[in-house]
Amino acid sequence: MAGTEDETTAGGVPRIVGTSPVRTDGWEKVSGQAMFIADLPLADAWIGGTLRSPVPRGRLRGIRRDPAFDWSRVSVVTAADLPGPNTVAMIREDHPVLAAEEVRFVAEAVALVAAPDPETLRAAIAAISLDIEGLPAVLTMEDALDGRIVIWGTSNILAEYCVSRGDVAAALHDADLVVEGEYRTGYQEHLYIETNGLVAIPHDGGAIEIVGSLQCPFYVRNALARGLALSPEQVIVRQVATGGAFGGKEDFPSVLAMHAAVLAQRCGRPVRMIYDRTEDIRATTKRHPSIVRHRTGVRRDGTIVGAEIDIVFDGGAYTTLSPVVLSRGILHAGGAYRIPAASIRGRAVATNTPPNGAFRGFGVPQTMFAIERQIDRIAATLGLDPLQVRRKNLLRTGDILPYGQVLEEDVGAEAVLERVVEISGYEAWHGKVGRSGASDGHGVSPVAVDGRGDSPRARDEQDGRSLARSGRRVRRGLGLSLFHHGSGFTGAGEDKIAGRVHVRLVPGPAGDADGVYEVLVSSTEMGQGAATVLCQIAAETLGVPLERVSMPLPDTSVVPDSGPTVASRTTMIVGRILVDACHDLAQRLTDARVAGERGPVTGKAVYQPTPGLAWDEVAYHGDAYKAYAWGADVVEVEVDEDTLEVSPVRAWAVVEIGKAVHPVLAAGQVEGGTLQGFGWACLEEIKSSGGRFLNDRMATYIVPTALDAPPITVEIIELPHPRGPLGAKGLGELPIDGPAPAFAAAVTDALGLFPCELPITPERLLALQDGPPTDLASAAESP
Amino acid sequence: MRIAFTVNGVPREVDAPPLRRLLDILRDDLGLTGTKEGCGEGECGACSVLLDGALVQSCLVPAVQLSGCRIITIESLGSQTAPDPVQQGFLDEGAVQCGFCIPGMVLATHALLARNPKPNEEAIRAGLSGNICRCTGYERIVRAVQRAAESALPSTPIAKAVAATTARPQAAQGSVVHSPTTLEEALIVLRTSATGGAADGTGDRAADGAAETLSGLTILAGGTDLMLPGAQASPATGSVLDLSRVAGLAGVCIHKDIIELGSSTTVATLADNPDVDRYLPALATAARLFGAPAIRNRATLGGNLAGASPAADLPPALLALDAIVVLASASGRRDTPLDVYFTGYRQTVRRLDELIIAVRVTLPAPDTRQAFFKAGTRRAQSIARASVAGAARVDASGTLRSVRLAAGSVAPMPILLRETMRLLEGRVLDAKLIEEADRLAAAEITPIEDVRSNVAYRRFVTGRLVARFLREYCRP
Repeated sequence: MAGTEDETTAGGVPRIVGTSPVRTDGWEKVSGQAMFIADLPLADAWIGGTLRSPVPRGRLRGIRRDPAFDWSRVSVVTAADLPGPNTVAMIREDHPVLAAEEVRFVAEAVALVAAPDPETLRAAIAAISLDIEGLPAVLTMEDALDGRIVIWGTSNILAEYCVSRGDVAAALHDADLVVEGEYRTGYQEHLYIETNGLVAIPHDGGAIEIVGSLQCPFYVRNALARGLALSPEQVIVRQVATGGAFGGKEDFPSVLAMHAAVLAQRCGRPVRMIYDRTEDIRATTKRHPSIVRHRTGVRRDGTIVGAEIDIVFDGGAYTTLSPVVLSRGILHAGGAYRIPAASIRGRAVATNTPPNGAFRGFGVPQTMFAIERQIDRIAATLGLDPLQVRRKNLLRTGDILPYGQVLEEDVGAEAVLERVVEISGYEAWHGKVGRSGASDGHGVSPVAVDGRGDSPRARDEQDGRSLARSGRRVRRGLGLSLFHHGSGFTGAGEDKIAGRVHVRLVPGPAGDADGVYEVLVSSTEMGQGAATVLCQIAAETLGVPLERVSMPLPDTSVVPDSGPTVASRTTMIVGRILVDACHDLAQRLTDARVAGERGPVTGKAVYQPTPGLAWDEVAYHGDAYKAYAWGADVVEVEVDEDTLEVSPVRAWAVVEIGKAVHPVLAAGQVEGGTLQGFGWACLEEIKSSGGRFLNDRMATYIVPTALDAPPITVEIIELPHPRGPLGAKGLGELPIDGPAPAFAAAVTDALGLFPCELPITPERLLALQDGPPTDLASAAESP
Repeated sequence: MRIAFTVNGVPREVDAPPLRRLLDILRDDLGLTGTKEGCGEGECGACSVLLDGALVQSCLVPAVQLSGCRIITIESLGSQTAPDPVQQGFLDEGAVQCGFCIPGMVLATHALLARNPKPNEEAIRAGLSGNICRCTGYERIVRAVQRAAESALPSTPIAKAVAATTARPQAAQGSVVHSPTTLEEALIVLRTSATGGAADGTGDRAADGAAETLSGLTILAGGTDLMLPGAQASPATGSVLDLSRVAGLAGVCIHKDIIELGSSTTVATLADNPDVDRYLPALATAARLFGAPAIRNRATLGGNLAGASPAADLPPALLALDAIVVLASASGRRDTPLDVYFTGYRQTVRRLDELIIAVRVTLPAPDTRQAFFKAGTRRAQSIARASVAGAARVDASGTLRSVRLAAGSVAPMPILLRETMRLLEGRVLDAKLIEEADRLAAAEITPIEDVRSNVAYRRFVTGRLVARFLREYCRP
């Protein structure tokens, strides 16, 4: 085949990485043929259901079954009936499969029922009553820290880590000014459109098979092996088409799989458990609410000289993944800035609320919101432009992070910031550089007056997207954020996982020439495009057309453990192992064919630790991440002065991700993550009453519709990274780290108010507007 | 009951309870699993299908209303070798991620393009606003629709279904299902069953469709309220009165100085009808801000009034327009002004043997200014934090006459802002008066804190929206 080296691979086929073919699962999804868990025909399956605690905390004195109900029609499992230890194995073993002596949150599972049909199931659950003696509950982070009621360990602290670099006290003492701020964020529900669901199928000898909507097949396998007292080989976990996850199907499926498995073993037939929306919102994990306090020492020109940061995350009733969520939050808490002296402390606390867990961003959106708002506050306090303060402090190649990692590879911070400023018209909008970001009442005047020449709005009108509502009192504002996200597991995590990848060539009728290549990994396709991207990397490396490479749905009895599909690790980490596996296959293939073997050949590779990178888990010091991806957002908001409703009307996102393996899918990740970030910023809220979630339906948990979404302009910058496959770094989580602070900054620009808490609802803006004036100078103290 | 209809052009017959969801019939009875369930309450759009050419959420459509209908699902569209242009657009633009919302999105796109073959971006976003996607940010979905709109849509099954809408055959009659075709029959059913028990609107979709339960009889119109989970006390045992086949209850007509809106008129019709737009723009605006396309296609005027939610969108507009509710029973008809129709939280003056058959509004004088504003939870599929409607005449001297102001979500029921109306009547508008009206409106309401908003904001925004009406609409 003709072509220059740039356009073709080693095998002579056109380049595949860097192009955007139709995704491998595209047709089955646009045609409705993709089989999600609820679509699998299972004629003999029973349905599983859960009886849950109605109170946030109490002593479980008894579980009573109404003798009038015919219990022979159903199977019931309580903690007393479990075949193994009453634990869902995750980081710790504090999460029971079913509450035994104490219930610790509203909606905690207490009893399980399997029945042949929904009506019988409902009737059976209604015939079970719980005898619970209420106990005083801890419902807020403040109450957890206060420690008067201890519900976990000796102090309600699920995890605590500290990071420190330099002499912070001296730095703050010598600073021209110390700026203080406190920032809060609320829950975020994943609201994947397909709820959590799976099927447990019992096999001979106690073995169990799980088929479901999930992110991490081996997490589920390990949890079941532990909870059912089986060997790992007796547990088979298979993923089916998964209707969105975003972290919400990372840790929770282990809980649900335990429930379905013990029911299936009890009734001796497959049991299907698919949550309805309300049960899913009430019982499954959310993004951790947070409180982050900053004290930043700055010079008058905006240079940061030192920072103290205190982070508290609400972990909920059990540990789940809170320690690692907290860890990642801490490690990103300084933002994309050079902080010569830093002291960062983080604590995850236990409360009597549903356990929080993984959600895209994994602790970073919370701490990134705080640092980005803090930078805006510093700018406002000093009378500087927020952009100037960012330019002055942003990380550059060679800088050192608060935990001691030296940024040796290309740092994309400046590139993304300058590019987003350019394409958004940010500087033209803000007029002269150097004006205050918050306090001079410059919010844009009513829409009828628009003297802003080439402002974003003027362009909107040229584009024919009419955003102005004539005569309305509307203010507009533009906000900016700069952010980064570490690729892959923290510290030595990838070394411990030691992910493995197989690539198998199955010869066709004409031998290897029409054989198909199978990428055998535990990585899951949940919408993000892993199945397409990994096939692209394999095809490119093998020098074969993409059509000859496929990635079957993972089955733990077939695929090796490549690690979980989390932490923005799949493209960079698994992709890198995949490249090695492809090379191994090429070698083995040659050897096999020379030896006259004609059958399938499998290439194998395992994660290779990077020489020279070191992480000290105890000191919390060293090379936390193999690579960092960088992002910068600008958003234009429109605020209705009469209703204080804020809408993002246009957004620009520029990311630096090393290499976009599939530029269209990559842009789709940025767009989707950006909108999830805006949803978290202004719409998505869970209110509680007595530990019970009030927003537990799609009618009350409000996510953006197409009308609430702004047009999003995405640009991708590529600074190839030596440790990624063909230079690629992690991408999946990065886009959700920046939208909320950019949104808040835009509100500040529009209204002169300074929101410090998410979501920024009209109710909160009213309280800010009616509250004491936002005198940012008072937030600062002279040392 | 036995129900016959066509799915994707194929005649089908199923045996189903009258309130079984179309979604379950498609998925469980017919094995058509391309239609997905994401919420079970008409919020997410994953279960969108076309019913006689109109986009609907199949989780809200009861079996009893399916007889003779033509249903189009995702399974009827293109093949892998010849994808339908909309499917092709989604593939080419990279608009698919997890794929769970996509079948609904594709059908919503077809419904949009059938009505508006060359939609602009805003129209695309509005057309898809009842279909939630959590993965894509909608950016590429919008582009996919634009690309599909550039291709000539062939004569898909959808186009045929739209073109072929005809009168529907009568539903099968069962002992517990009443599917009358005339008002008289419907009223006799009501008289027979109205033997005690209070009206009980148990669904809580504020922008509801038409349905309620009373004394075991489910009166079903659009179903967008009643089909919500838990809305029916005993779905298996209660009897159903289906109004969807009653002739003469839908439509907009003008007799002399009265515009009459039939109770089965859909919200979509109110949003699009030129007479409503011309004479009752406040109502047209409320209808356009109601739910999303699939909900508007099903929800009815009568249902919205019967549900009597304090947050309903249509009542404030109709209160401002001084509407009359026409109630009919087997023993006669009576006209009730809307401002005395609501009596409390989800309570009205309607007796158990009565049916709302129409709403009448005296055509407003040509110089009447009217408007409806909704401070909602978002820009579509939105329930009001608060809503305000206003109507007033302004004479040459700038004096306000016939001022009527109404509000939703700020009291146990939709209310008139009577004190503010009194303040304004006969006065000449100036900045000070606007400020007074703002304050008085905020003070005279009795809002509560709930999952959507709080007292302080509801007072604030009600006052501000009254001021907006005066400022923007009532200048001389």
